[in-house]
Amino acid sequence: MIVIDWNHLFMVAFAAVIASALVVSLFSLGMRLLVNADSVRAVAATGDSVALRKEALNRAGAYVLIALSAAAVIYGVLLIIPNLIPNAA
Amino acid sequence: MDSLTVVVLVIALALFFDFTNGFHDTANAMATPIATGALKPRTAVAIASVMNLLGAFLSTAVATMISVSMINDASTLRPEIVFAGLTGAILWNLTTWFLGLPSSSSHALFGGLIGAVIAAVGFGGVNFVAVIQKVLLPAVFAPLIAGLAAWLATRLAYAITKRSTEDDLSTGRGRFRYGQIFSSSLVALSHGTNDAQKTMGVITLVLVAGGIQKDGGHVELWVVLAAALAIALGTFSGGWRIIKTMGKGLSEVKPAQGLAAEVATAATILASSKLGFALSTTQVASGSIIGSGLGRKGGKVRWGKAGHVVIGWLLTLPAAAIVGALSATLVDLGPAGILIDAIATLGVVIAIFQIARRNAVTHQTVASEMEEASEVVITRKQQAAAKKLASAQAKAASKNGKGKK
Repeated sequence: MIVIDWNHLFMVAFAAVIASALVVSLFSLGMRLLVNADSVRAVAATGDSVALRKEALNRAGAYVLIALSAAAVIYGVLLIIPNLIPNAA
Repeated sequence: MDSLTVVVLVIALALFFDFTNGFHDTANAMATPIATGALKPRTAVAIASVMNLLGAFLSTAVATMISVSMINDASTLRPEIVFAGLTGAILWNLTTWFLGLPSSSSHALFGGLIGAVIAAVGFGGVNFVAVIQKVLLPAVFAPLIAGLAAWLATRLAYAITKRSTEDDLSTGRGRFRYGQIFSSSLVALSHGTNDAQKTMGVITLVLVAGGIQKDGGHVELWVVLAAALAIALGTFSGGWRIIKTMGKGLSEVKPAQGLAAEVATAATILASSKLGFALSTTQVASGSIIGSGLGRKGGKVRWGKAGHVVIGWLLTLPAAAIVGALSATLVDLGPAGILIDAIATLGVVIAIFQIARRNAVTHQTVASEMEEASEVVITRKQQAAAKKLASAQAKAASKNGKGKK
């Protein structure tokens, strides 16, 4: 009887589903905030302080989220290199 | 023929196989970003080959799975057997490519090797636990996992960017195209971590079989370098093919959906490479495209198309195993057998390339698997168009019927 180790398969499934959901969600949120920022850009350009703040906050948030999504990807790639990150077998 | 000659022959053939693999799979990573206009074809192809090169250096888990786990005691193996397995894989691969059948070069390689070892040493030569664990189960589950991941990621992307009608804002989904530049590069990178490894594994296997390397536990640096360069070159020269044959099938893939599919593909392949699962990267990418198509509102599966894709997948391994076993039997006849096998392979390679060149590039013979997979899911728009057409035809038919009366 061949004993099958389902754990590894489950790990791949878990890692792939969670990682994709996380990376894509972060990126999508970033895109949403970018649209928010652009929507008030014309008003902000006139010097309206509320619009200016709204644009700056949304844009900053968008860049942070996009950076986080990129960081998650880079961490994921580094994980597969053996012996680079201790105990990450 | 002495064993060193055979070893050199196997290395050359394995690198050729690696080259064709890159050549064939450029489309997997780069078809969607080119289709959505995220990247110019030339840039896409250049990025893909560099990423493949880098990916090949990241891990050797898949390579040692082949050289250590899959074959019981590689040192009892003769280099001729590896040669037979490899020629079997190449013959099957090129034939399916020529006939336009969906196939997997990875499964062709495993099938060829397994068939050759069984024919030469018997069933005891193959470690079936490793084959099931690291090749067969991933073959069945990885496309499903990728599909599930892509489905979920697509749902999330669409839900997060959804705008209510009174907002009067664009969804910004077109901007996902810029993200696709990175997600498709990631797919190319993951391709290098899995597919270039298969060549390294085969070369290491033949080095052990030829007594040049003691055991298959590590991969020599020159082997890594050679395999990385071969796959990168193959990817680069595969570019002209996608540029010429990009059909309209993939135009239905929207940027947000493409990004989700690519992230899911890369995540599945990278996680699998880490654990030494040797996958068909094409099948994973196809699973993601189908999953992401279903994740969009109203996506429906065309089961006929899906069946066609899956049957091609299931057929590859056993068919290549038979070809591998046949060439192992041939090789067992001695040097003459090896020569016949080598000439037959070379003949088929040249013949197919000649025919392919003469017929120029027809869509049917070189359509990418990605396009085929993207056609499995029918979008809401396409469904509506089909309905309209059907009702228009029905109207016309009833009119004609009345006219005759």
